[in-house]
Amino acid sequence: MLSFRKVSKRFDRGRPAALDGVSFEVDKGSICGLLGHNGAGKSTALGVMLGMVYPDSGEVFIGGCPVLTERHGAIRKVGAIFEAPAFYEYLSGWHNLKILTAYSGAVERKLLEETVEWVGLGERIHDRVGTYSHGMRQRLALAQALLPRPEVLILDEPTDGLDPEGIFEFREKLLTLREELGLTVVLSSHLLGEVEQVCDEVVILQRGIKVYEGKVRGINKGWSHFVIESENPEVTGESIKAQRGKKAGEFFQFPSELAAADLLSRLVSDGARITKFAEKEESLEALYLKFSQGSSEGSSQ
Amino acid sequence: MKLFFSQLGWELFRLFARKRTYIGFGVFLAVELLFFYFFSVGRGADRMEEFIERVAGGVDEYFSALTLAFIIVAFTMLLLGLVFVALVAGDILAKETEDGNLRLILARPISRFRLLVIKFLSCQVYTTALFLFVGASALLVGVLSRGWGGAMMVWSPDLPRVSLFEWDEGMVRYFIGIIGYSVVYLPVTGIAFMLGCFRIKPAAATIVTVAVLIGDRILSSIPLPAIDPYREYFITSRMDAWLLLMYQEVPWAQFWEQTGWLFGIGLTGFVVGWLVFERRDVKS
Repeated sequence: MLSFRKVSKRFDRGRPAALDGVSFEVDKGSICGLLGHNGAGKSTALGVMLGMVYPDSGEVFIGGCPVLTERHGAIRKVGAIFEAPAFYEYLSGWHNLKILTAYSGAVERKLLEETVEWVGLGERIHDRVGTYSHGMRQRLALAQALLPRPEVLILDEPTDGLDPEGIFEFREKLLTLREELGLTVVLSSHLLGEVEQVCDEVVILQRGIKVYEGKVRGINKGWSHFVIESENPEVTGESIKAQRGKKAGEFFQFPSELAAADLLSRLVSDGARITKFAEKEESLEALYLKFSQGSSEGSSQ
Repeated sequence: MKLFFSQLGWELFRLFARKRTYIGFGVFLAVELLFFYFFSVGRGADRMEEFIERVAGGVDEYFSALTLAFIIVAFTMLLLGLVFVALVAGDILAKETEDGNLRLILARPISRFRLLVIKFLSCQVYTTALFLFVGASALLVGVLSRGWGGAMMVWSPDLPRVSLFEWDEGMVRYFIGIIGYSVVYLPVTGIAFMLGCFRIKPAAATIVTVAVLIGDRILSSIPLPAIDPYREYFITSRMDAWLLLMYQEVPWAQFWEQTGWLFGIGLTGFVVGWLVFERRDVKS
């Protein structure tokens, strides 16, 4: 549905590229998380997707339409939310929606009303945006992104500044949208937990370079991670080695074909006096930290 | 085309919904009342009557609501018109870029060219509306002060001689003159709009426009023969073309020639602005 092909962009000569030959694909109906530090190139990538930033080379296709040469056709399928969306403060939410949707073509009043109700702004939509809370602005941002019906949602830090309830609500709405409308979503966020909970795929950027692209589930494909503590570390260490295990940060990493019960049984039979044994869930955070700290080990590129 | 006018309509709605618009209109009204005081109430009123008696004869006939309104409009716009029009045109894009509104708009399927056309036309419609407001309010002040009827006298140092009109023709000339006055401000809109298309603070677009045009006015007013070969290139001297509409016999050929130049300058400003904006990356 969305194809990002060898996109490079350098804003100033003499400075590192904001994007350097970045390619990735987002399948129809999936939610793709775009991760990276500040300055990693996430916003530039989103800008290129929306035709607001011109790449030096490469191309982005949305639903088969090239954004660079057929922007109108490509962007017609897209709705976008930006971090701290700027509305006309002196106008009501309703008038803001009317103004913004006028740029996309005529939107039926019924659809507008339904969308406003769905995002939960029904009672306050005719109030000035200047009186809205941050959460209400994000709801308005979601409403404008959904009008008229998009096929792709591009979200730049959509939950930034929201309280936990707001984040939960936003996440639920996003999953509902994907389920009911089959929307394809690209989500840029600093909140790894959020990305882990809603995204099917993740792309990690570091200094303009893609360092990881893959499924969120199965990040540690081929390996299992365990927390192991014992009263006799030396004996336990020897046993771990014997089972082809090795230290990986705070954890011990073993080939995933070794079941947890079998591993524990072998350690004990080797004389290890185990006091704590727990299998660690796959962690996006661990993966993100690994790449963001500059290591390329384990990259699935 | 229907969609285009819908977008233009919403852009105008947005402009006219701002509180700042009405504060601006209020300032114009206050300045009009100030000029009304100078010309018709205060110590200068007698001298105004003497002046009209001397150049037109028959002060009761010619010191009418239309004559008073014309003087009020001419001086009010001379004082505030440039700043206000430059402010609106310099602000309309640069402020939206600064505030971030532009990102939400450009995430929509609209070309940058179309967006700029809508914003540029909005500025011009807004300018005309402002001039008509000033014209109508000045006439209202004139009618309340001097009553309905009489004749109209138009005098300016740029006119070859004083123009005298009957009430009905004066009324037509008055409003045609005001619309013409707003049209000759096209270069102001063009320059400020062009600057607003660059990566620039909104205030900078306004200030640079005002500085350029004040400089242009000062240079064009230097009464030395050395300036004469260049005089036709000054924008502000061409902007006086609206006064041609107040001649007893309007020199249409001269008017259209001058207006053509002004259109050219305004449109050049738009095209340069568009070329700059079209190539710009819009990013947070």
